Amino acid sequence: MSDFALLSMLSPIYLLAQDAAAGAAKEAFVWSTLVNQAVNGIGIVGILLLTSMGLAITFGVMRIINLAHGEFIMLGAYITFWMQDVFKMDLLLTIPFAFLGTAIVGAIVELTIIRRLYGRPLETLLATWGLSIVLQGVIKLIFTAQLKYVKAPAYLSGSIDFLKGEGGATLVSISYYRFFIIAIALALLAITMYLFYGTSWGRQIRSVTQNRSMSQCLGVNTKLVDMGTFAYGCGLAGVAGAVISALKTVSPPMGQDYLVDSWMVVVTGGVDKLVGILAGSFLIGESNAIIAFILNDPTARVIVLGAVIVLIRYRPEGLFTVQKRS
Amino acid sequence: MSKSPIFSSGFSRRKFLQYSSLAAGTSVLAACTSGGSGGTESADVGENPIKVGVMYSTTGTIAIVEKSLQDATFLAIEQINTGTGPWQGKGEGIGGRKIEKVVVNPDSNWDLYNQMSKRLIDEDKVVCVLGCYTSASRKSVLPVFEEKDSLLYYPVYYEGNECSSNVFYTGAAPNQQITDSTPYCKENFGPKGFFIGSDYIYPKESNRIAKAELEKAGGQVVGDEYAALGTTEFITIINKIQAAKPDFVLSNLVGDSIPAFYRQFKDAGITSADIPIMAYPTTEEEIQAMGPEYSAGHYTSFNYFQSVDTPENKAFVEQFQAMFGDSRVTNGVMEAAYLQTFFMAQAMDDVLKGGKEIGTESLREATRGQEFSAPQGRVKMDPDNYHTYLYSRIGKWKEDGQAEIVFSTDAAVKPIPWSQALYKGRTCVHPAPDDRSDPTKETGKDLVPEFLKS
Repeated sequence: MSDFALLSMLSPIYLLAQDAAAGAAKEAFVWSTLVNQAVNGIGIVGILLLTSMGLAITFGVMRIINLAHGEFIMLGAYITFWMQDVFKMDLLLTIPFAFLGTAIVGAIVELTIIRRLYGRPLETLLATWGLSIVLQGVIKLIFTAQLKYVKAPAYLSGSIDFLKGEGGATLVSISYYRFFIIAIALALLAITMYLFYGTSWGRQIRSVTQNRSMSQCLGVNTKLVDMGTFAYGCGLAGVAGAVISALKTVSPPMGQDYLVDSWMVVVTGGVDKLVGILAGSFLIGESNAIIAFILNDPTARVIVLGAVIVLIRYRPEGLFTVQKRS
Repeated sequence: MSKSPIFSSGFSRRKFLQYSSLAAGTSVLAACTSGGSGGTESADVGENPIKVGVMYSTTGTIAIVEKSLQDATFLAIEQINTGTGPWQGKGEGIGGRKIEKVVVNPDSNWDLYNQMSKRLIDEDKVVCVLGCYTSASRKSVLPVFEEKDSLLYYPVYYEGNECSSNVFYTGAAPNQQITDSTPYCKENFGPKGFFIGSDYIYPKESNRIAKAELEKAGGQVVGDEYAALGTTEFITIINKIQAAKPDFVLSNLVGDSIPAFYRQFKDAGITSADIPIMAYPTTEEEIQAMGPEYSAGHYTSFNYFQSVDTPENKAFVEQFQAMFGDSRVTNGVMEAAYLQTFFMAQAMDDVLKGGKEIGTESLREATRGQEFSAPQGRVKMDPDNYHTYLYSRIGKWKEDGQAEIVFSTDAAVKPIPWSQALYKGRTCVHPAPDDRSDPTKETGKDLVPEFLKS
């Protein structure tokens, strides 16, 4: 049933793609361009993966409806901007500080707001949403509403060419910076998975999310675990903000843009497993890239969002969730 | 576990929907309340001040631009009230009466512009309003100003094709920005143009005109792409540009999208020597935000650049930086917001000198034909179509974030509100005195560019 629905929904896109492909077949270069687009789509995937990882922790693991996720990304970007502006630091060197800075803010938020609201999703939703407005306002007061400039490291400019056409024209390539984003995202995912599945801290986190009172009985300091996990999730969002700041625009409302994408990725991939966000971001990033190439950007967004809604209707637990007995 | 694992704490999807719609509802409410803030300033404005509305968003997505327009407007009002800057020697205020600014913040929300303008006119009883940036906000308030017969001074380059007895347009009309830049691109870069823009009324209309102008000049449109307002991911559009191999890109992207696009354009390995970008909304402010190394070698067509060499501009930049800080830059929209405040003040001065009361009708008639030595040069409010005689310039961005002016008209160009490539021979002539009848006039022939005689 669900598979059929998915197919019938996708068929208009398939037909459109066929039409476009038939029209484009007259021009020979289009296939290499399409391949290039798919390769570039990986660049979008990297950004989605990086920006949604923090949410995969705060929502996926801790089940906090965190509407301030985008603002933690924004905070990371502003920490990078501030450190570059004041200490003239290289972007790479600011990443640990962006992590620490946003993690500390995250810990304070957990201590003062989130802690009092576990098990009360409505209040959490309103509180984090209010928090996002406050954070935007505070940043605007400190740094003004002007767009900010973050310098990209010079050694990360240029691109890797995979395929050259006649006359040396580059047909398929990806820029070093996008490649760097993908590498950082995958490295962070690996570290996070190790922390969650390979250390005792990770076991504690999982036991707390599964059964809080039982974990308490067994001597787990649940309050500390909660604070640490939330701070870690916020720290990851901060790293994302620091890394993308050189490619995107730094301004107080910038986080809003990533909030929706992050939610789509986490919900599509499946909230239970961290590896789900890898699949979610790949699926959303690549389908966005390909549909946008065939049609155009705004249409691609509409189609992908629509597809995610239909998917959630038939698989509310996302694509990659372990089957559980009900 | 019997429940969906997403909401293990007894939180059903229906509840989630209820709560999130509640959150969305509250967000509208919050926007309204924050938009309602502002109001009359407390500074000493003396006896019998003249009330003027200032309507720019200082919160929300467009705040990035509109805040700087508000700053430029505040500078002008401050200079008028203290008798400094261009107002030197005219005394404090206008005929002894100071300007009292009534400041509202529409929170980048088109509906709120409409409500705020009603409030300014009905409750605050301002004589006119300085404000708006996007075409969407102007279209939102236009019916209010026309219905209540009040005046709006609008400082932004726009897509044209509009004339109203209730709006004075002090930004560029199509023939002061697009008409010179498209043939320039064709001659200097080549015939093939790729057009991009943000997905809303101004970029689409502006590109429609630019495409028509390019084809009229014998060029060829090889691509036309739009990105949702606020998009910062341009990899697809850049890939399409690479595939289409144009001689130049014409960009009407606005706001946050601009720095992201230029950065990713260079990051994708395209230099300004390969494919130069000719842009309209990319100004000093956005260049500063993206870093000048990304914009060097690209072009912008505008009436004003911070590097324009006039004594008025030198004074303007100095006074602006003295008030708002040395790191700030000035740009064409800010300059228009600045000069329109002086158009308004000079007109008020003339009304008072003529022994009349400042009202919509007297102010409108007095504003027609006003001249002012603006930072960009001598400009004039066209008495016929209420647009402004402005210089047309093209700047090439340098490594230091300032523009080298590679093209400039010798004098300010007479505005033609309707694009002549799309609507041949159409213009507006408001009758004098203005009885608010339809000003559209079909001449049926090509309108020759006219210049302001000094």
